[in-house]
Amino acid sequence: MTQPPGPDGSPERPGPHRAEDQPPQGQPPQDQPPHGQAYPQGYPASDAAGVPPYAAAPPGYGYAPTPYPRNDLAVWSLVLGIASYVLSCGLFTGIPAVIVGYKARGAVQAGEANNGGMATAGIILGWVAIGLSVAAVVLLVLFVPAFLYTVGSTIPDQP
Amino acid sequence: MTAEARTRERTRRDVAAPAVLGAIVAGATAYVALVDPNSPGHYLTCPLLLLTGLECPGCGALRATHDLAHLDLAGAWSMNPLWVVLAPTLVLMWGWWMARAWTGRPVRPLPVPVAWVGLGVLVVFGVLRNVPALSGWLGPAA
Repeated sequence: MTQPPGPDGSPERPGPHRAEDQPPQGQPPQDQPPHGQAYPQGYPASDAAGVPPYAAAPPGYGYAPTPYPRNDLAVWSLVLGIASYVLSCGLFTGIPAVIVGYKARGAVQAGEANNGGMATAGIILGWVAIGLSVAAVVLLVLFVPAFLYTVGSTIPDQP
Repeated sequence: MTAEARTRERTRRDVAAPAVLGAIVAGATAYVALVDPNSPGHYLTCPLLLLTGLECPGCGALRATHDLAHLDLAGAWSMNPLWVVLAPTLVLMWGWWMARAWTGRPVRPLPVPVAWVGLGVLVVFGVLRNVPALSGWLGPAA
């Protein structure tokens, strides 16, 4: 059955704005067929059935419930991965980036998140940072023994 | 399975992560407290500082940890003010995590805005402490 045109002539579309159509239908306009009255009864039922994720979302921090509650894991993985390059010692945030990134991937597979790409980015950044840190330690120990024991005495003089 | 048994099983599994992390961090902090980073010869030097003279946002954090472990707040602040704010906060967060895991309740990461704001603070701090006018306030003391 085709949609009847709304009171202002625009084509009817099912949607939240339909609730605003309710008062005008108290007196149906000339071009509203009587089955327009069936929409108010039919709509709430389909509303409840059409958006189950909202009804089933677990209580959170008071945010509006979303279908992907564990998207935060991948964001933290990416942020920790980036931070491991902001800091010159990438090991301390690189390891958490990798751990949280793998947990984010698990959440994507469980259907609780949809940002697997971001999780992969965090994992890659984390592993590379760990690798660079380990390589730096190895190079320092092997090739520059004179530079090894200079913490505390290499700080440039501040003006 | 009774609720009590469920809590006990959750306790064993979930407490392992914060407990192990806490043990590692406590051991590392004890080592730093005992072995002074200010005297040369005990720790690796930072390659970035050595090669470029730039101070990353973590510069001075080891010395700050040593000072914090000896309750020298002023000395720690002169080494790395951001770390002086961040380290106790992380300890409190770990305590919260441990308490929640012990009672078997779930714990979630901090909200996403905290992540991006934190990264911004880190970058801004790293840039500002290398500005000569501010390096006395934000950079590690000589």
